[in-house]
Amino acid sequence: MTMESTVSTALSMPIHSSVLWLIPFLPLFGAILNGATGRRARNPKLVDAIALGSMALSFLLVLCCFAQLLGQAPENRSVNQTLWSWFELGGAKVLGGVTQNTMAWAYKFDPLSGAMALLVTGVGFLIHLFSTGYMAEERNDGTYYRFMAYLNLFVFSMLNLVLGANMIIMFLGWEGVGLCSYLLIGFYFEREYAAIAGKKAFVTNRIGDFGFLIGFFLIFMIFGATDFDTLMGMTRGILAMPQITLFGITHAPTWWFNLIGCCLFVGACGKSAQIPLYVWLPDAMAGPTPVSALIHAATMVTSGLYMITRMNFIYINAPVALSLVLFIGALTAIVAASMGLAQYDIKKVLAYSTVSQLGFMFMGMGAGAFSAGMFHVFTHAFFKAALFLGSGSVIMACHHEQDMRNMGGLRKHMPWTFASMGIATLAIAGIFPFSGFFSKDEILWKVFEGWYSGGSTLSLLAWIMGMLAAFMTAFYMVRLMVMTFYGDYRGAGHADPYGLTVPSEVVHHAAPDDGHGHDAHGHDAHGHGHAHVPTEVPWNMWLPVAILAGLALIGGFLNIPHSLHWIGSSHFSEWISPLLFQTGAHHAHEGAPAIEYILMGVATLVWAPGAMLLAWVFYAQDPSWARPKAFVKRFPELFEWVNAKYYVDEFYEAAFIGPCKQLGAQLWAFDSLAVDGMVNGAARFTLIISHACHWFDANIVDGLVNLVAWILQQISLGFRKFQSGRVQNYAFVKFLA
Amino acid sequence: MPSMNAVLFISFLLFSVGVAGVLIRRNVLIILMCVELMLNAANLNLIAFARHSGTVAGQAFALLVMGLAAAEVTIGLALVVALYRKKDTIQVDQINLLKG
Repeated sequence: MTMESTVSTALSMPIHSSVLWLIPFLPLFGAILNGATGRRARNPKLVDAIALGSMALSFLLVLCCFAQLLGQAPENRSVNQTLWSWFELGGAKVLGGVTQNTMAWAYKFDPLSGAMALLVTGVGFLIHLFSTGYMAEERNDGTYYRFMAYLNLFVFSMLNLVLGANMIIMFLGWEGVGLCSYLLIGFYFEREYAAIAGKKAFVTNRIGDFGFLIGFFLIFMIFGATDFDTLMGMTRGILAMPQITLFGITHAPTWWFNLIGCCLFVGACGKSAQIPLYVWLPDAMAGPTPVSALIHAATMVTSGLYMITRMNFIYINAPVALSLVLFIGALTAIVAASMGLAQYDIKKVLAYSTVSQLGFMFMGMGAGAFSAGMFHVFTHAFFKAALFLGSGSVIMACHHEQDMRNMGGLRKHMPWTFASMGIATLAIAGIFPFSGFFSKDEILWKVFEGWYSGGSTLSLLAWIMGMLAAFMTAFYMVRLMVMTFYGDYRGAGHADPYGLTVPSEVVHHAAPDDGHGHDAHGHDAHGHGHAHVPTEVPWNMWLPVAILAGLALIGGFLNIPHSLHWIGSSHFSEWISPLLFQTGAHHAHEGAPAIEYILMGVATLVWAPGAMLLAWVFYAQDPSWARPKAFVKRFPELFEWVNAKYYVDEFYEAAFIGPCKQLGAQLWAFDSLAVDGMVNGAARFTLIISHACHWFDANIVDGLVNLVAWILQQISLGFRKFQSGRVQNYAFVKFLA
Repeated sequence: MPSMNAVLFISFLLFSVGVAGVLIRRNVLIILMCVELMLNAANLNLIAFARHSGTVAGQAFALLVMGLAAAEVTIGLALVVALYRKKDTIQVDQINLLKG
């Protein structure tokens, strides 16, 4: 009774917007504190306390704000805090005349950004916790504080991105996460591949940011504002205009909205790893595994999705841009999923899986179902973070081995990790009632509906591609699980009856027993790293994975599809619906639940289990993997083609990077020959002129002067004779006179 | 009583010897002596003309000149001593500071 009344009092209280700024700034303070003083901290536990403490406080604050938001009426669920006005943009010429715009450093906590902040801080905290175990080697060599400071800085940037109340703050976060991604991918910068991967991610993101900026500028030119609330409020007025003329081009508002949508989508492609800018994400696996989980699976890569949802008032009125999003999403989903089929590196499989799942989310956005796409962001964050962290545990237990051919049989040795990853696998495959079923099937249904009731052929095509991608997803995930956890352990020093292992590429840069961190009793008795048995990782590593797996198990019930309303309601869709632009064309949910039921049933009972069964038959039933080997033998080119990721990297190298380097070399040659030549020529010319001047001066001018002097000298020589200095001579002359 | 012309001629010869000595000789002492010769030639002239005109003014002049010459020689010899101390010589051809 007392507690209930306390809760209700807390909920009815107005939200304290004054603490909103602490949510992003606490991790920033943690980053600054750790970055500035962490090097001198003798005990890494101090670094842990600062990093995890700031994250936990931030998470609790988000929870408080979120709980208070829940207590409000749906139309009041928005809290704004303006910290200071960042800069004034006076006299910029926009469509509505000259604007006097103040760019404020402002935060906005509403259902969408609140949910994202909850995800970022919650999953972020679990990943921080995991890092304390995973980075056991770095704890002792003095680079640990750097890692933790980067992680906190990343969370700060990501919170700016999602909580920013206008596009400027969003862009600040957008660039900040790109920077942190670069720093964290290149964390092991002494290894060349990591440094190159970081550079690749940064440059690829810059290409996307170019599109994002152009879209941003166009929005500012048309609306004359950057504040999300203002933009959304103005949309109807802009749409009502018959024509919009910018830069001498006159078109209907929809045309401009399409242009903006496409430009912004280029930015989303870069950040969220869509075709053609997805190439950086698989390479980003060069970073530490917690980074892959935090940045490249759960949070940063979803910023493109978040941005599109934020900008739904643009997209919902831009049919061409939406079609582009749908098509690119479907294409990415199927292409990336097929690449994941033939990878052996456990993290690479998960990386392509991430790209593919992001494609699914974009498909949902493209179908106009922003809440479905956003919901998949959340469920994906849970199960993919669990999978990535689980893979991190596996890699650590296997002494930094990443090749799945050298694993196997870990089920017996790592029960917690196995159970968590198993749940996450079922979730990503879309088995009822795991969360992936609800989110992925919602997306596929919305896409299908686009064809079924909208008559769009593109939607049908996208739906078919999505279904194939879902099939492949279930297949490669079971393949991953079987190769890693079933059979017998094939690590160094163990029997390998089927000849499955490959020479390990692991660089043993640390002492052999460092891999296990805390559990000193593990394999130390063997005295060396060979023939050891992998053991379960410490609690601070398996616990986050287990929590995430639990969320992946139950998360789906937050958004039950309408047709399954007898299970529960679609909380999530209702939750963010106040932020979605209402087109007015409310076509009632006319049903067709029969078809939806059939599709759902097929997907979860036949389609995904079929793929899983196929993978099981291929890899688990026959431990020698004879069937996939025979398949590869039969289609060697196909396997080679897929295993090499369709040679996209090579194509980019040949088509863009090579010519760019060529152009650079040409420009350099031009610079060194023509420009430097001109400068040197000018210098040489000046030198010659000055030599001539010097000769003229020394010979002609000085010569004339000397000539006058010489003449005078010659004349005076005669007169000198008179002045003998002898008084007698002078006296003689005087006598003569 | 020698004739006026003879006296004037002797005086002329004395003066000429003095001038030639001043102009030709290198030794400062000799030059000083020659200057004395020229003064005495002038004295002779003064006395001759005084006698011829029958007045004593000329003779008084001659006495004055003698006194003057004595003073002049004193200063001259002092200069010679100073010169010798400075230049270690009394040969005038070696004293040519004014040579251009």
